[in-house]
Amino acid sequence: MIVHVNGALLRFTDYRRVITVAAPTVEAALTKLAGEYRPLQTVLFDRRGRLRATHRIFLNGELLAPDQLASPAGDADSVELLLAISGG
Amino acid sequence: MPRWSTYEIPVDTGLFTPLGLQPTALCRLGFNAAGCWLGRHAISHRRLVAEHRTGLVVWSAQLAFGEPVGFFDADCLQIRVTGRIRGAGTQFECDLEVGGPLDTRARLQACCIALRLEGDPALSGIPARLGPDVMAAFLPDEIESQPHRSPVRGLRTAVVRDGTALAHGRLPFVIRRHQCEVADQWFWPEAVSLAAGGREDLVQAKAERVPLLLSALQTPVRRIDLLFNRPFFLLDQGAVWSSAYEWEGRLVFIHELVGSENDQPRALVTEQFSLPKERAWD
Repeated sequence: MIVHVNGALLRFTDYRRVITVAAPTVEAALTKLAGEYRPLQTVLFDRRGRLRATHRIFLNGELLAPDQLASPAGDADSVELLLAISGG
Repeated sequence: MPRWSTYEIPVDTGLFTPLGLQPTALCRLGFNAAGCWLGRHAISHRRLVAEHRTGLVVWSAQLAFGEPVGFFDADCLQIRVTGRIRGAGTQFECDLEVGGPLDTRARLQACCIALRLEGDPALSGIPARLGPDVMAAFLPDEIESQPHRSPVRGLRTAVVRDGTALAHGRLPFVIRRHQCEVADQWFWPEAVSLAAGGREDLVQAKAERVPLLLSALQTPVRRIDLLFNRPFFLLDQGAVWSSAYEWEGRLVFIHELVGSENDQPRALVTEQFSLPKERAWD
């Protein structure tokens, strides 16, 4: 899966915008990504391990609802990770 | 009575163009003044974020310029600012006046939406009402139930419908870190800068065919309205789509700031200029 990281999240992935992650689902890819880039863990997930509501996840351009994160995805699929707004 | 803060700042040349106060400087002074007012009368912006997990993000702003305030007019500018809550705690609005001698004035009204911050290092948040602890810091006179409503969409509709189209142009951009605030999100005054860049390019490209456009470089802007839909972030690519119209005796520019998704504009900016023969426009 090819994960595209944008904007305010770049500093948590060492400024890498495109990261290839081997995982069977979008949810698993995000978990694995947060494992590889530890600062991303608290940004993406709350204390209970749930994806924060402030993020928008797109799979091949389609916005995913929270219950769709377990959808299977292949190596060629593109996942985009967007922070909707920040309160700085 | 709503509380006001009044203070002076020394002028420096970077606050001005040859035509008057920089619109971007007015935005920056305004945001800083709002923070000053909050700190003196309610809760400092830093404490709002750090202790109350409350963010404020500008989503609508209006700038109005009277007689131009210039660098050579005075050693200091007078700042006068007040703040209020609107929309049942969903908005914080500030009013700013920047004055020089002889009652010259520039005004800014900026309305922020309140965010409940998640508490993560990215300062991510979702729109929410201000908490009771924050609301308690405001006087009853500083709490208005009606929400602020942006005039931008109505203005754009009227200008496009009734105005005479003069020229169109596009200017691509990338958001750099010096254009961002603490969370790597663009600092909202950049919308004014980017729109002005789109206008200046448009005038340069089309003024030979449409001389009227030169007014937008020769005279100071009289009014700017901004509406934000969603922010740009560090290294985001975008473009300013600028259109110029003659409308009701004014030269009006409508700027749509669009991201690479080419979806609906992330921000709308309108700029209004007096036409050459018009003397008093207020």
